[in-house]
Amino acid sequence: MHGLFRWSGKWWPGIIPLVIFWAIAAWTSTEPLEADLAQRSVAALKDTVLDKRRISVAGRDVTLAADAFSADGRQSAVASVEAVPGVRLVNDETRLVPEAKPFVWSAERDVVRVTLSGSSPLPASKGRLMEAARANLGGVEVVDRMNLSRGAPPRFDDAALLLLDQVGKLKDGKITLSDTSVTLSGMARELGGREAIAAALKNLPEGYSVAANDIKAPPYIFQAYKDPVAVTLTLTGNVPDGNAHAALVAAAGRKFFREKVVDNLKESIGAPSGFAAAVVPALGALSRLSTGTLVVTDREVTLSGDALYENAASQIRAGLGKDFPPRWQFKPEISVKPPAAPVDATVCQQLFTELLGKARIRFEPGKADIVADSAGLLDRLIETALRCPTANIEISGHTDSDGDEGANQALSERRAQAVADYLVKAGLPANRFSAVGYGSTQPIAGNDNDQGKAQNRRIDFVVK
Amino acid sequence: MAYLTTFYWGWLVGSVLLGFAMGWISVVQRGKGVSRKLRWWLSALVAALVAAAFGRVVPGRFGYWLDLGLIMFALYLCGCAVGSWLRDWVVSRSAPSA
Repeated sequence: MHGLFRWSGKWWPGIIPLVIFWAIAAWTSTEPLEADLAQRSVAALKDTVLDKRRISVAGRDVTLAADAFSADGRQSAVASVEAVPGVRLVNDETRLVPEAKPFVWSAERDVVRVTLSGSSPLPASKGRLMEAARANLGGVEVVDRMNLSRGAPPRFDDAALLLLDQVGKLKDGKITLSDTSVTLSGMARELGGREAIAAALKNLPEGYSVAANDIKAPPYIFQAYKDPVAVTLTLTGNVPDGNAHAALVAAAGRKFFREKVVDNLKESIGAPSGFAAAVVPALGALSRLSTGTLVVTDREVTLSGDALYENAASQIRAGLGKDFPPRWQFKPEISVKPPAAPVDATVCQQLFTELLGKARIRFEPGKADIVADSAGLLDRLIETALRCPTANIEISGHTDSDGDEGANQALSERRAQAVADYLVKAGLPANRFSAVGYGSTQPIAGNDNDQGKAQNRRIDFVVK
Repeated sequence: MAYLTTFYWGWLVGSVLLGFAMGWISVVQRGKGVSRKLRWWLSALVAALVAAAFGRVVPGRFGYWLDLGLIMFALYLCGCAVGSWLRDWVVSRSAPSA
Protein backbone atom coordinates (compact mmCIF):
# COMPACT_ATOMS: atom_id res chain seq x y z
CA MET A 1 0.00 0.00 0.00
CA HIS A 2 2.91 2.26 0.79
CA GLY A 3 4.43 1.40 -2.62
CA LEU A 4 1.21 2.30 -4.32
CA PHE A 5 1.25 5.68 -2.64
CA ARG A 6 4.89 6.15 -3.67
CA TRP A 7 4.30 5.13 -7.27
CA SER A 8 1.19 7.34 -7.56
CA GLY A 9 3.40 10.39 -7.40
CA LYS A 10 4.75 9.36 -10.82
CA TRP A 11 1.36 8.75 -12.45
CA TRP A 12 0.79 12.37 -13.40
CA PRO A 13 2.36 12.30 -16.92
CA GLY A 14 -0.48 10.05 -18.04
CA ILE A 15 -2.94 12.82 -17.18
CA ILE A 16 -1.90 14.68 -20.33
CA PRO A 17 -3.03 12.00 -22.81
CA LEU A 18 -6.01 11.32 -20.53
CA VAL A 19 -7.10 14.93 -20.90
CA ILE A 20 -6.71 14.60 -24.67
CA PHE A 21 -8.83 11.41 -24.55
CA TRP A 22 -11.38 13.19 -22.45
CA ALA A 23 -11.57 16.13 -24.82
CA ILE A 24 -12.05 13.85 -27.83
CA ALA A 25 -14.62 11.73 -25.99
CA ALA A 26 -16.55 14.84 -24.95
CA TRP A 27 -16.35 16.23 -28.48
CA THR A 28 -17.60 13.12 -30.18
CA SER A 29 -20.10 11.72 -27.70
CA THR A 30 -22.06 14.75 -26.52
CA GLU A 31 -24.42 15.18 -29.44
CA PRO A 32 -25.16 11.46 -30.00
CA LEU A 33 -25.74 11.10 -26.25
CA GLU A 34 -28.14 14.04 -26.24
CA ALA A 35 -30.02 12.71 -29.26
CA ASP A 36 -30.28 9.28 -27.67
CA LEU A 37 -31.56 10.70 -24.38
CA ALA A 38 -34.11 12.87 -26.20
CA GLN A 39 -35.36 9.82 -28.07
CA ARG A 40 -35.60 7.75 -24.91
CA SER A 41 -37.38 10.57 -23.10
CA VAL A 42 -39.95 10.87 -25.89
CA ALA A 43 -40.46 7.11 -25.76
CA ALA A 44 -40.89 7.26 -21.98
CA LEU A 45 -43.67 9.86 -22.41
CA LYS A 46 -45.48 7.83 -25.02
CA ASP A 47 -48.37 6.92 -22.72
CA THR A 48 -48.54 10.24 -20.92
CA VAL A 49 -51.11 12.75 -22.16
CA LEU A 50 -49.48 16.13 -22.64
CA ASP A 51 -49.98 19.08 -24.91
CA LYS A 52 -47.35 21.32 -26.49
CA ARG A 53 -44.60 18.96 -25.35
CA ARG A 54 -41.04 20.10 -25.97
CA ILE A 55 -37.98 18.14 -24.90
CA SER A 56 -34.50 19.58 -25.07
CA VAL A 57 -31.37 17.87 -23.80
CA ALA A 58 -28.12 19.54 -22.74
CA GLY A 59 -25.52 16.94 -21.75
CA ARG A 60 -27.50 14.57 -19.56
CA ASP A 61 -29.97 17.20 -18.38
CA VAL A 62 -33.42 17.06 -19.92
CA THR A 63 -35.68 20.10 -20.06
CA LEU A 64 -39.30 19.05 -20.28
CA ALA A 65 -41.81 21.72 -21.22
CA ALA A 66 -45.42 20.68 -21.66
CA ASP A 67 -49.02 21.40 -20.73
CA ALA A 68 -50.39 18.69 -18.48
CA PHE A 69 -54.05 17.98 -17.91
CA SER A 70 -53.80 17.04 -14.25
CA ALA A 71 -51.36 17.40 -11.36
CA ASP A 72 -50.86 13.63 -11.36
CA GLY A 73 -50.19 13.60 -15.06
CA ARG A 74 -47.66 16.33 -14.64
CA GLN A 75 -45.78 14.50 -11.88
CA SER A 76 -45.94 11.24 -13.72
CA ALA A 77 -44.48 12.85 -16.86
CA VAL A 78 -41.51 14.25 -14.93
CA ALA A 79 -40.99 10.94 -13.13
CA SER A 80 -41.06 9.04 -16.41
CA VAL A 81 -38.28 11.18 -17.84
CA GLU A 82 -36.28 11.02 -14.63
CA ALA A 83 -36.43 7.24 -14.84
CA VAL A 84 -34.82 7.21 -18.28
CA PRO A 85 -31.33 5.61 -17.91
CA GLY A 86 -28.58 8.19 -18.37
CA VAL A 87 -30.72 11.22 -17.48
CA ARG A 88 -29.04 13.19 -14.73
CA LEU A 89 -31.53 15.98 -14.08
CA VAL A 90 -34.97 16.94 -15.35
CA ASN A 91 -35.72 20.63 -15.59
CA ASP A 92 -39.45 20.66 -15.04
CA GLU A 93 -41.03 23.36 -17.17
CA THR A 94 -44.41 21.67 -17.32
CA ARG A 95 -47.58 23.48 -16.35
CA LEU A 96 -51.19 22.62 -15.97
CA VAL A 97 -53.44 23.67 -18.85
CA PRO A 98 -55.73 26.49 -17.80
CA GLU A 99 -59.04 25.57 -16.25
CA ALA A 100 -62.12 26.78 -18.13
CA LYS A 101 -64.99 27.90 -15.97
CA PRO A 102 -67.59 27.50 -17.31
CA PHE A 103 -66.37 24.83 -19.68
CA VAL A 104 -67.83 25.95 -22.99
CA TRP A 105 -67.72 24.01 -26.25
CA SER A 106 -69.61 24.89 -29.39
CA ALA A 107 -70.21 23.74 -32.95
CA GLU A 108 -71.41 26.31 -35.43
CA ARG A 109 -72.64 25.53 -38.90
CA ASP A 110 -73.00 27.95 -41.76
CA VAL A 111 -73.45 27.37 -45.45
CA VAL A 112 -69.96 26.12 -46.21
CA ARG A 113 -68.36 25.00 -42.98
CA VAL A 114 -68.68 23.73 -39.48
CA THR A 115 -66.53 25.45 -36.87
CA LEU A 116 -65.75 23.69 -33.63
CA SER A 117 -64.65 26.10 -30.94
CA GLY A 118 -64.35 26.52 -27.21
CA SER A 119 -62.66 24.07 -24.90
CA SER A 120 -61.87 20.42 -25.23
CA PRO A 121 -60.54 18.40 -22.30
CA LEU A 122 -57.85 16.28 -23.98
CA PRO A 123 -56.07 16.08 -27.33
CA ALA A 124 -57.71 12.68 -27.84
CA SER A 125 -61.17 14.19 -27.30
CA LYS A 126 -60.37 16.95 -29.70
CA GLY A 127 -59.19 14.47 -32.31
CA ARG A 128 -62.27 12.31 -31.80
CA LEU A 129 -64.59 15.29 -32.20
CA MET A 130 -62.85 16.42 -35.37
CA GLU A 131 -62.96 12.90 -36.78
CA ALA A 132 -66.66 12.54 -35.92
CA ALA A 133 -67.42 15.94 -37.45
CA ARG A 134 -65.72 14.99 -40.69
CA ALA A 135 -67.49 11.63 -40.79
CA ASN A 136 -70.97 12.95 -39.91
CA LEU A 137 -70.94 16.02 -42.07
CA GLY A 138 -69.57 14.37 -45.21
CA GLY A 139 -67.88 16.87 -47.46
CA VAL A 140 -68.40 19.95 -45.32
CA GLU A 141 -65.25 21.76 -44.30
CA VAL A 142 -64.58 21.34 -40.57
CA VAL A 143 -62.60 24.11 -38.88
CA ASP A 144 -60.91 23.41 -35.55
CA ARG A 145 -60.81 26.38 -33.22
CA MET A 146 -60.88 24.34 -30.04
CA ASN A 147 -58.32 24.84 -27.33
CA LEU A 148 -57.49 22.50 -24.51
CA SER A 149 -58.67 23.24 -21.01
CA ARG A 150 -59.28 21.52 -17.73
CA GLY A 151 -62.62 21.46 -16.00
CA ALA A 152 -64.71 19.44 -18.45
CA PRO A 153 -67.85 17.92 -16.96
CA PRO A 154 -67.99 14.13 -16.75
CA ARG A 155 -68.94 12.30 -19.96
CA PHE A 156 -68.13 15.41 -21.99
CA ASP A 157 -67.09 13.36 -25.01
CA ASP A 158 -70.37 11.46 -25.16
CA ALA A 159 -72.39 14.65 -24.89
CA ALA A 160 -70.30 16.52 -27.47
CA LEU A 161 -70.43 13.62 -29.93
CA LEU A 162 -74.21 13.44 -29.62
CA LEU A 163 -74.47 17.18 -30.20
CA LEU A 164 -72.12 16.96 -33.15
CA ASP A 165 -74.47 14.40 -34.63
CA GLN A 166 -77.26 16.98 -34.36
CA VAL A 167 -75.18 19.58 -36.20
CA GLY A 168 -75.54 17.33 -39.25
CA LYS A 169 -79.30 17.89 -39.08
CA LEU A 170 -78.95 21.67 -39.20
CA LYS A 171 -78.91 23.86 -42.25
CA ASP A 172 -77.29 26.55 -40.18
CA GLY A 173 -77.06 27.27 -36.49
CA LYS A 174 -75.05 26.80 -33.37
CA ILE A 175 -75.00 24.26 -30.59
CA THR A 176 -73.28 25.31 -27.40
CA LEU A 177 -72.44 23.16 -24.42
CA SER A 178 -71.72 25.25 -21.34
CA ASP A 179 -70.72 22.90 -18.51
CA THR A 180 -73.71 20.53 -18.59
CA SER A 181 -76.17 22.90 -20.18
CA VAL A 182 -76.98 22.73 -23.90
CA THR A 183 -78.20 25.64 -26.02
CA LEU A 184 -79.31 25.19 -29.61
CA SER A 185 -80.25 27.72 -32.25
CA GLY A 186 -80.59 27.78 -36.02
CA MET A 187 -82.66 26.07 -38.66
CA ALA A 188 -83.14 22.38 -39.32
CA ARG A 189 -81.99 21.08 -42.68
CA GLU A 190 -85.13 19.12 -43.38
CA LEU A 191 -88.70 18.98 -42.23
CA GLY A 192 -88.79 16.79 -39.17
CA GLY A 193 -85.18 17.69 -38.37
CA ARG A 194 -86.23 19.86 -35.44
CA GLU A 195 -88.26 17.01 -33.98
CA ALA A 196 -85.45 14.53 -34.61
CA ILE A 197 -83.00 16.79 -32.76
CA ALA A 198 -85.40 17.22 -29.86
CA ALA A 199 -85.77 13.43 -29.67
CA ALA A 200 -82.01 12.85 -29.82
CA LEU A 201 -81.40 15.33 -27.00
CA LYS A 202 -83.29 12.99 -24.68
CA ASN A 203 -80.27 10.67 -24.98
CA LEU A 204 -77.84 13.22 -23.53
CA PRO A 205 -75.72 11.65 -20.79
CA GLU A 206 -77.02 11.86 -17.27
CA GLY A 207 -76.61 15.27 -15.69
CA TYR A 208 -76.80 17.18 -18.97
CA SER A 209 -79.81 19.33 -19.73
CA VAL A 210 -81.16 21.49 -22.54
CA ALA A 211 -81.25 25.15 -21.47
CA ALA A 212 -82.73 26.43 -24.73
CA ASN A 213 -83.71 24.75 -27.97
CA ASP A 214 -84.42 27.45 -30.53
CA ILE A 215 -84.07 25.27 -33.59
CA LYS A 216 -86.53 26.37 -36.23
CA ALA A 217 -88.08 24.09 -38.78
CA PRO A 218 -87.58 24.94 -42.45
CA PRO A 219 -90.68 26.33 -44.20
CA TYR A 220 -93.35 23.75 -44.88
CA ILE A 221 -93.90 24.05 -48.60
CA PHE A 222 -96.60 22.69 -50.85
CA GLN A 223 -96.85 23.60 -54.51
CA ALA A 224 -99.28 22.87 -57.29
CA TYR A 225 -98.71 23.90 -60.88
CA LYS A 226 -101.40 23.75 -63.49
CA ASP A 227 -99.84 23.40 -66.90
CA PRO A 228 -102.37 24.09 -69.70
CA VAL A 229 -100.04 22.85 -72.44
CA ALA A 230 -99.14 19.48 -70.93
CA VAL A 231 -102.65 19.36 -69.37
CA THR A 232 -101.19 18.31 -66.04
CA LEU A 233 -101.45 19.33 -62.46
CA THR A 234 -98.12 18.80 -60.77
CA LEU A 235 -98.13 18.52 -56.98
CA THR A 236 -94.79 18.95 -55.23
CA GLY A 237 -93.62 19.59 -51.70
CA ASN A 238 -94.87 18.17 -48.44
CA VAL A 239 -97.99 16.68 -46.98
CA PRO A 240 -98.40 15.74 -43.32
CA ASP A 241 -99.19 12.02 -43.66
CA GLY A 242 -100.53 9.24 -45.83
CA ASN A 243 -104.19 10.08 -45.17
CA ALA A 244 -103.76 13.75 -46.01
CA HIS A 245 -101.74 12.74 -49.06
CA ALA A 246 -104.49 10.44 -50.36
CA ALA A 247 -107.19 12.99 -49.56
CA LEU A 248 -105.33 15.76 -51.33
CA VAL A 249 -104.66 13.72 -54.46
CA ALA A 250 -108.31 12.59 -54.51
CA ALA A 251 -109.50 16.19 -54.15
CA ALA A 252 -107.18 17.23 -56.97
CA GLY A 253 -108.62 14.45 -59.12
CA ARG A 254 -112.19 15.69 -58.50
CA LYS A 255 -111.41 19.36 -59.04
CA PHE A 256 -109.17 19.03 -62.08
CA PHE A 257 -111.33 17.01 -64.45
CA ARG A 258 -109.15 17.53 -67.52
CA GLU A 259 -105.66 17.50 -66.10
CA LYS A 260 -103.60 14.49 -65.26
CA VAL A 261 -102.45 14.74 -61.65
CA VAL A 262 -98.68 14.27 -61.29
CA ASP A 263 -98.05 13.44 -57.66
CA ASN A 264 -94.54 14.31 -56.46
CA LEU A 265 -95.56 14.94 -52.86
CA LYS A 266 -93.48 13.81 -49.93
CA GLU A 267 -94.89 12.96 -46.55
CA SER A 268 -93.18 15.04 -43.87
CA ILE A 269 -94.04 15.98 -40.35
CA GLY A 270 -94.11 19.61 -39.27
CA ALA A 271 -97.16 20.81 -41.22
CA PRO A 272 -98.90 23.88 -39.84
CA SER A 273 -102.27 23.17 -38.24
CA GLY A 274 -105.19 23.33 -40.64
CA PHE A 275 -102.97 22.36 -43.58
CA ALA A 276 -105.54 20.23 -45.40
CA ALA A 277 -108.38 22.65 -44.60
CA ALA A 278 -106.46 25.44 -46.34
CA VAL A 279 -104.88 23.52 -49.22
CA VAL A 280 -108.07 21.80 -50.47
CA PRO A 281 -110.00 25.07 -51.12
CA ALA A 282 -106.81 26.61 -52.51
CA LEU A 283 -106.62 23.73 -55.00
CA GLY A 284 -110.27 24.44 -55.84
CA ALA A 285 -109.33 28.04 -56.63
CA LEU A 286 -106.39 26.86 -58.75
CA SER A 287 -108.77 24.59 -60.68
CA ARG A 288 -110.69 27.70 -61.74
CA LEU A 289 -107.61 29.25 -63.37
CA SER A 290 -106.57 28.78 -66.95
CA THR A 291 -102.98 28.43 -65.85
CA GLY A 292 -101.56 29.04 -62.45
CA THR A 293 -99.40 28.14 -59.53
CA LEU A 294 -100.34 27.57 -55.94
CA VAL A 295 -97.57 27.96 -53.37
CA VAL A 296 -98.22 27.21 -49.71
CA THR A 297 -95.35 28.26 -47.43
CA ASP A 298 -96.09 27.51 -43.80
CA ARG A 299 -99.37 29.43 -43.29
CA GLU A 300 -99.09 31.66 -46.34
CA VAL A 301 -100.97 30.73 -49.49
CA THR A 302 -99.99 32.43 -52.73
CA LEU A 303 -102.13 31.79 -55.77
CA SER A 304 -101.05 33.27 -59.07
CA GLY A 305 -102.41 32.79 -62.54
CA ASP A 306 -105.11 33.73 -65.03
CA ALA A 307 -108.80 33.44 -64.25
CA LEU A 308 -111.10 32.62 -67.15
CA TYR A 309 -113.25 35.76 -66.76
CA GLU A 310 -113.37 38.88 -64.61
CA ASN A 311 -116.00 37.74 -62.12
CA ALA A 312 -114.12 34.51 -61.45
CA ALA A 313 -111.01 36.55 -60.64
CA SER A 314 -112.96 38.72 -58.21
CA GLN A 315 -114.59 35.73 -56.56
CA ILE A 316 -111.25 34.01 -56.06
CA ARG A 317 -109.55 37.15 -54.73
CA ALA A 318 -112.34 37.86 -52.28
CA GLY A 319 -113.51 34.40 -51.43
CA LEU A 320 -110.58 32.07 -50.90
CA GLY A 321 -109.13 33.66 -47.78
CA LYS A 322 -112.50 33.30 -46.03
CA ASP A 323 -112.35 29.53 -46.31
CA PHE A 324 -109.02 29.33 -44.50
CA PRO A 325 -108.46 28.28 -40.90
CA PRO A 326 -107.45 31.06 -38.45
CA ARG A 327 -103.96 32.62 -38.84
CA TRP A 328 -103.65 31.55 -42.47
CA GLN A 329 -102.89 34.25 -45.01
CA PHE A 330 -103.91 34.43 -48.64
CA LYS A 331 -101.98 36.36 -51.27
CA PRO A 332 -103.87 36.37 -54.55
CA GLU A 333 -101.99 37.37 -57.67
CA ILE A 334 -104.82 36.76 -60.08
CA SER A 335 -105.09 38.31 -63.52
CA VAL A 336 -107.69 37.59 -66.18
CA LYS A 337 -107.02 35.59 -69.31
CA PRO A 338 -107.74 37.53 -72.54
CA PRO A 339 -111.18 36.48 -73.87
CA ALA A 340 -111.17 33.67 -76.42
CA ALA A 341 -112.37 34.38 -79.96
CA PRO A 342 -116.19 34.29 -80.40
CA VAL A 343 -117.66 31.20 -82.04
CA ASP A 344 -121.01 30.46 -83.56
CA ALA A 345 -123.77 28.55 -81.82
CA THR A 346 -122.87 25.18 -83.35
CA VAL A 347 -119.28 25.34 -82.13
CA CYS A 348 -120.54 26.50 -78.74
CA GLN A 349 -122.76 23.42 -78.51
CA GLN A 350 -119.77 21.21 -79.43
CA LEU A 351 -117.66 22.85 -76.73
CA PHE A 352 -120.43 22.38 -74.11
CA THR A 353 -120.85 18.74 -75.08
CA GLU A 354 -117.11 18.18 -74.98
CA LEU A 355 -116.78 19.74 -71.51
CA LEU A 356 -119.77 17.93 -70.05
CA GLY A 357 -118.54 14.73 -71.63
CA LYS A 358 -115.40 14.95 -69.51
CA ALA A 359 -117.05 15.84 -66.23
CA ARG A 360 -120.46 16.44 -64.72
CA ILE A 361 -121.74 19.27 -62.57
CA ARG A 362 -122.09 17.63 -59.19
CA PHE A 363 -124.60 18.33 -56.45
CA GLU A 364 -125.01 17.39 -52.85
CA PRO A 365 -126.95 14.07 -52.72
CA GLY A 366 -130.72 14.67 -53.02
CA LYS A 367 -130.20 18.43 -53.08
CA ALA A 368 -129.75 21.21 -55.60
CA ASP A 369 -126.57 22.56 -53.99
CA ILE A 370 -123.62 22.56 -56.40
CA VAL A 371 -120.53 21.08 -54.79
CA ALA A 372 -117.40 23.21 -54.72
CA ASP A 373 -115.45 20.65 -56.77
CA SER A 374 -117.49 21.65 -59.85
CA ALA A 375 -116.31 25.27 -59.80
CA GLY A 376 -113.59 24.63 -62.39
CA LEU A 377 -116.02 22.96 -64.78
CA LEU A 378 -118.62 25.70 -64.33
CA ASP A 379 -116.01 28.39 -65.05
CA ARG A 380 -115.19 26.67 -68.32
CA LEU A 381 -118.89 26.40 -69.20
CA ILE A 382 -119.25 30.13 -68.45
CA GLU A 383 -116.18 30.97 -70.54
CA THR A 384 -117.71 28.99 -73.41
CA ALA A 385 -121.08 30.73 -73.00
CA LEU A 386 -119.25 34.06 -73.19
CA ARG A 387 -117.84 33.06 -76.59
CA CYS A 388 -121.30 32.78 -78.14
CA PRO A 389 -123.06 35.81 -76.68
CA THR A 390 -126.05 35.62 -79.01
CA ALA A 391 -126.94 31.98 -78.41
CA ASN A 392 -129.72 31.08 -76.01
CA ILE A 393 -129.06 28.05 -73.89
CA GLU A 394 -131.33 25.55 -72.29
CA ILE A 395 -129.97 24.15 -69.08
CA SER A 396 -131.63 20.81 -68.69
CA GLY A 397 -131.60 18.79 -65.48
CA HIS A 398 -131.90 14.99 -65.46
CA THR A 399 -132.06 12.40 -62.68
CA ASP A 400 -131.86 8.64 -62.49
CA SER A 401 -135.03 6.58 -62.00
CA ASP A 402 -134.58 5.99 -58.26
CA GLY A 403 -137.33 7.32 -56.07
CA ASP A 404 -140.54 9.07 -56.80
CA GLU A 405 -140.85 10.48 -60.32
CA GLY A 406 -142.44 13.67 -59.07
CA ALA A 407 -139.59 14.27 -56.67
CA ASN A 408 -137.07 13.52 -59.41
CA GLN A 409 -138.80 15.99 -61.69
CA ALA A 410 -138.69 18.69 -59.01
CA LEU A 411 -135.04 17.91 -58.16
CA SER A 412 -134.02 18.08 -61.81
CA GLU A 413 -135.74 21.43 -62.18
CA ARG A 414 -134.14 22.85 -59.04
CA ARG A 415 -130.71 21.63 -60.09
CA ALA A 416 -131.07 23.14 -63.57
CA GLN A 417 -132.19 26.39 -61.97
CA ALA A 418 -129.22 26.33 -59.54
CA VAL A 419 -126.85 26.10 -62.49
CA ALA A 420 -128.66 28.91 -64.32
CA ASP A 421 -128.44 31.05 -61.18
CA TYR A 422 -124.72 30.31 -60.92
CA LEU A 423 -124.22 31.50 -64.51
CA VAL A 424 -126.23 34.65 -63.93
CA LYS A 425 -124.29 35.35 -60.79
CA ALA A 426 -121.12 35.05 -62.85
CA GLY A 427 -122.31 37.96 -64.96
CA LEU A 428 -124.17 36.32 -67.86
CA PRO A 429 -127.56 37.77 -68.84
CA ALA A 430 -130.43 35.80 -67.32
CA ASN A 431 -132.50 35.96 -70.49
CA ARG A 432 -130.06 33.74 -72.35
CA PHE A 433 -130.80 30.77 -70.13
CA SER A 434 -133.83 28.64 -69.54
CA ALA A 435 -133.72 26.01 -66.82
CA VAL A 436 -135.73 22.87 -67.62
CA GLY A 437 -136.12 19.71 -65.54
CA TYR A 438 -136.74 16.38 -67.24
CA GLY A 439 -136.69 14.11 -64.21
CA SER A 440 -135.73 10.61 -65.28
CA THR A 441 -137.53 10.74 -68.60
CA GLN A 442 -134.44 11.11 -70.82
CA PRO A 443 -131.90 8.54 -69.63
CA ILE A 444 -128.65 8.18 -71.60
CA ALA A 445 -127.72 4.91 -69.91
CA GLY A 446 -129.46 2.02 -68.20
CA ASN A 447 -130.82 2.66 -64.73
CA ASP A 448 -130.16 -0.91 -63.69
CA ASN A 449 -126.66 -0.28 -62.35
CA ASP A 450 -124.85 2.44 -60.40
CA GLN A 451 -122.68 3.48 -63.31
CA GLY A 452 -125.65 3.98 -65.61
CA LYS A 453 -127.54 5.90 -62.90
CA ALA A 454 -124.54 8.17 -62.35
CA GLN A 455 -124.51 8.97 -66.06
CA ASN A 456 -128.21 9.73 -66.02
CA ARG A 457 -127.87 12.21 -63.13
CA ARG A 458 -126.66 15.14 -65.21
CA ILE A 459 -127.00 18.68 -66.40
CA ASP A 460 -126.92 19.27 -70.15
CA PHE A 461 -126.40 22.54 -72.00
CA VAL A 462 -128.42 22.74 -75.18
CA VAL A 463 -127.86 25.68 -77.50
CA LYS A 464 -131.16 26.76 -79.01
CA MET B 1 -23.88 4.61 -14.94
CA ALA B 2 -24.51 1.35 -16.74
CA TYR B 3 -26.04 3.35 -19.58
CA LEU B 4 -23.01 5.67 -19.78
CA THR B 5 -20.65 2.72 -19.68
CA THR B 6 -22.37 1.11 -22.62
CA PHE B 7 -22.42 4.41 -24.43
CA TYR B 8 -18.69 5.17 -24.40
CA TRP B 9 -17.04 2.05 -23.17
CA GLY B 10 -14.25 2.48 -25.72
CA TRP B 11 -13.02 5.64 -24.08
CA LEU B 12 -13.22 4.03 -20.64
CA VAL B 13 -11.21 1.05 -21.77
CA GLY B 14 -8.71 3.51 -23.25
CA SER B 15 -8.45 5.27 -19.90
CA VAL B 16 -7.86 2.01 -18.07
CA LEU B 17 -5.18 0.94 -20.54
CA LEU B 18 -3.54 4.34 -20.36
CA GLY B 19 -3.53 4.11 -16.57
CA PHE B 20 -2.18 0.55 -16.71
CA ALA B 21 0.67 1.65 -18.94
CA MET B 22 1.43 4.64 -16.76
CA GLY B 23 1.34 2.49 -13.64
CA TRP B 24 3.59 -0.11 -15.29
CA ILE B 25 6.16 2.55 -16.13
CA SER B 26 5.96 4.42 -12.83
CA VAL B 27 7.41 1.51 -10.78
CA VAL B 28 10.78 1.57 -12.53
CA GLN B 29 10.86 5.23 -13.45
CA ARG B 30 13.60 7.31 -11.91
CA GLY B 31 12.94 10.90 -11.06
CA LYS B 32 10.89 12.90 -8.66
CA GLY B 33 7.22 12.48 -8.22
CA VAL B 34 4.69 15.07 -7.28
CA SER B 35 5.43 16.77 -3.99
CA ARG B 36 3.36 15.86 -0.99
CA LYS B 37 1.91 19.33 -0.74
CA LEU B 38 0.87 19.45 -4.40
CA ARG B 39 -0.56 15.97 -4.06
CA TRP B 40 -2.84 17.17 -1.29
CA TRP B 41 -3.93 20.12 -3.33
CA LEU B 42 -4.68 17.89 -6.30
CA SER B 43 -6.58 15.48 -4.08
CA ALA B 44 -8.63 18.36 -2.70
CA LEU B 45 -9.35 19.54 -6.25
CA VAL B 46 -10.48 16.10 -7.32
CA ALA B 47 -12.60 15.74 -4.18
CA ALA B 48 -14.21 19.11 -4.93
CA LEU B 49 -14.92 18.05 -8.50
CA VAL B 50 -16.39 14.75 -7.29
CA ALA B 51 -18.55 16.64 -4.81
CA ALA B 52 -19.68 18.98 -7.59
CA ALA B 53 -20.52 16.00 -9.78
CA PHE B 54 -22.51 14.23 -7.08
CA GLY B 55 -24.12 17.47 -6.04
CA ARG B 56 -25.12 18.02 -9.71
CA VAL B 57 -24.23 21.67 -9.38
CA VAL B 58 -22.66 22.00 -12.81
CA PRO B 59 -25.47 22.27 -15.37
CA GLY B 60 -25.92 20.99 -18.90
CA ARG B 61 -23.07 19.91 -21.08
CA PHE B 62 -20.43 21.06 -18.59
CA GLY B 63 -21.96 18.76 -16.01
CA TYR B 64 -21.81 15.88 -18.45
CA TRP B 65 -18.22 16.63 -19.37
CA LEU B 66 -17.32 16.77 -15.67
CA ASP B 67 -18.92 13.38 -15.08
CA LEU B 68 -17.17 11.97 -18.10
CA GLY B 69 -13.81 13.37 -17.03
CA LEU B 70 -14.14 12.06 -13.49
CA ILE B 71 -15.15 8.59 -14.64
CA MET B 72 -12.23 8.47 -17.06
CA PHE B 73 -9.91 9.76 -14.32
CA ALA B 74 -11.15 7.19 -11.83
CA LEU B 75 -10.59 4.39 -14.30
CA TYR B 76 -7.20 5.84 -15.14
CA LEU B 77 -6.28 5.69 -11.49
CA CYS B 78 -7.53 2.11 -11.25
CA GLY B 79 -5.44 1.22 -14.31
CA CYS B 80 -2.43 2.92 -12.75
CA ALA B 81 -2.86 1.02 -9.50
CA VAL B 82 -3.21 -2.35 -11.23
CA GLY B 83 -0.29 -1.58 -13.58
CA SER B 84 2.00 -0.51 -10.75
CA TRP B 85 1.10 -3.41 -8.55
CA LEU B 86 1.57 -5.92 -11.36
CA ARG B 87 4.90 -4.43 -12.42
CA ASP B 88 6.09 -4.47 -8.85
CA TRP B 89 5.08 -8.10 -8.56
CA VAL B 90 6.94 -9.00 -11.80
CA VAL B 91 10.05 -7.10 -10.74
CA SER B 92 10.15 -8.66 -7.28
CA ARG B 93 9.76 -12.20 -8.80
CA SER B 94 12.54 -11.74 -11.37
CA ALA B 95 15.11 -10.62 -8.73
CA PRO B 96 14.58 -12.89 -5.74
CA SER B 97 18.24 -13.07 -4.73
CA ALA B 98 18.62 -9.32 -4.51
